[in-house]
Amino acid sequence: MDFGFILEAFPQILAAIPITLLMVFASAIIGWILGLIIALVRKGKAPVISQILAVFVSFMRSVPSVIVLYIAYYVMPAVIFSYGQNIGWNVDINLIPPVVYAIFALTLGQAAYSSEVFRAAISAVDEGQMEAAYSIGMTKTQALFRIIFPQAFATAMPNLGGLFVGLVKETSLAYYVGVYEITAIANLLSIPKLNFIEAYVMTTIIYEVLSFIFNKIFRAGENRLKRFRANATA
Amino acid sequence: MNYTYDFASIPGLIIKIFQAFPLTMGILLISLVISLAIGALVTVGALSKNHIVQAISKGYISFMRGIPTLVLIFLLYLGLPQVLKDFGIDIGGWNKAIFIIATLSLNTSANMAEMMRASYLAVDKGQREAAYSVGMKPFTAFRRIIFPQAFGIAIPTLGNNIILLFKETSLGFTIGVIDILGKARAISAASFGANKLEVYIASAVIYWIICVVLEQGSKYVEKMYTRGRKKATS
Repeated sequence: MDFGFILEAFPQILAAIPITLLMVFASAIIGWILGLIIALVRKGKAPVISQILAVFVSFMRSVPSVIVLYIAYYVMPAVIFSYGQNIGWNVDINLIPPVVYAIFALTLGQAAYSSEVFRAAISAVDEGQMEAAYSIGMTKTQALFRIIFPQAFATAMPNLGGLFVGLVKETSLAYYVGVYEITAIANLLSIPKLNFIEAYVMTTIIYEVLSFIFNKIFRAGENRLKRFRANATA
Repeated sequence: MNYTYDFASIPGLIIKIFQAFPLTMGILLISLVISLAIGALVTVGALSKNHIVQAISKGYISFMRGIPTLVLIFLLYLGLPQVLKDFGIDIGGWNKAIFIIATLSLNTSANMAEMMRASYLAVDKGQREAAYSVGMKPFTAFRRIIFPQAFGIAIPTLGNNIILLFKETSLGFTIGVIDILGKARAISAASFGANKLEVYIASAVIYWIICVVLEQGSKYVEKMYTRGRKKATS
């Protein structure tokens, strides 16, 4: 054990937490909103779009995240570049930080995973709830936002918590597309003097603490939403 | 800047990359068997009445669910040999696939343990009591009454866990195992990285196809197994 290395490297690894959290929150927020939209569109059985979304969801759920990250990393610059040319901007794609590609890839993954969670949760709300909302004169939007969503969220909460913690762990793969997040920094610092065991034990502790905290937060959220779960699931 | 892609080469690449399929399947199957064995052991611990055993088992599960697979790979592949060297054991020369199998077995065993615990607890208590009342011994009751029902409950989760495990085998490339993704990268490296995007798309397609097959297989097994059985969940 090289304690000098630990003292020196730990603050530097800790300093990489914000970029990990940036990836986590950005992809979770955007991804879950997209996921909810995908779930509603597929539920509404809109022709063509539903089928395209079904293929997208199946693809994202089947392909390992690291491949999705790589594809985003190699495709996006080209897409941004040619789009920029089309609208007359000369975008210097070398100025775009890789974290953008990582967030893009992780967001698509979250959209696909969460759409399945939302679909199941919305299906679990009794159909009578929707009919009851209509019967007292609510519009479809009102019924969705006031009656269906709160109940569906209460059902979806445990799974969303699992997705979120999974996402925290997935961000470690962003290392392979050049994002300097926790794992990347630990790896970089460990190489010169081969302090692998110290570096990875520290990394493990950081991830364990992050997972623990987010698990607790989601557990608390679950308990708060419990009041919407007044046995209204079918 | 100029981007040129040769998407017509993808089918050929798929066939080439597919040569790595046996190794990937080998890693998958061995990890699956070991993770089920560890998972069963941990489940027994988690259901034990001994508080210390229970705490250790639950701690193990939450530790394995909090650590990113990538970090566990580095910990075992880079860190562990250093620790063992201090004790005079040299594992540095071991086949890299062993480290991947060890990582995936440990990581998946936590999911397996959670699955087994949930399915075991989902079988109605009355079933066990009924088995005892006709004079069965605890082990016979487990083997002939509890296990067949718990297994039926576990099939969808087991299918999911196998798919997750299959996707995680893709991380073998991080330490140089020539599995599907490793093979893809080797092909790309041989052409000096010219067809990076194409090889990643080709490997994505392979993962996609295999995952869809696994998913359908899981659904089929569930249907066959639960046909004619009464649901005995509590």
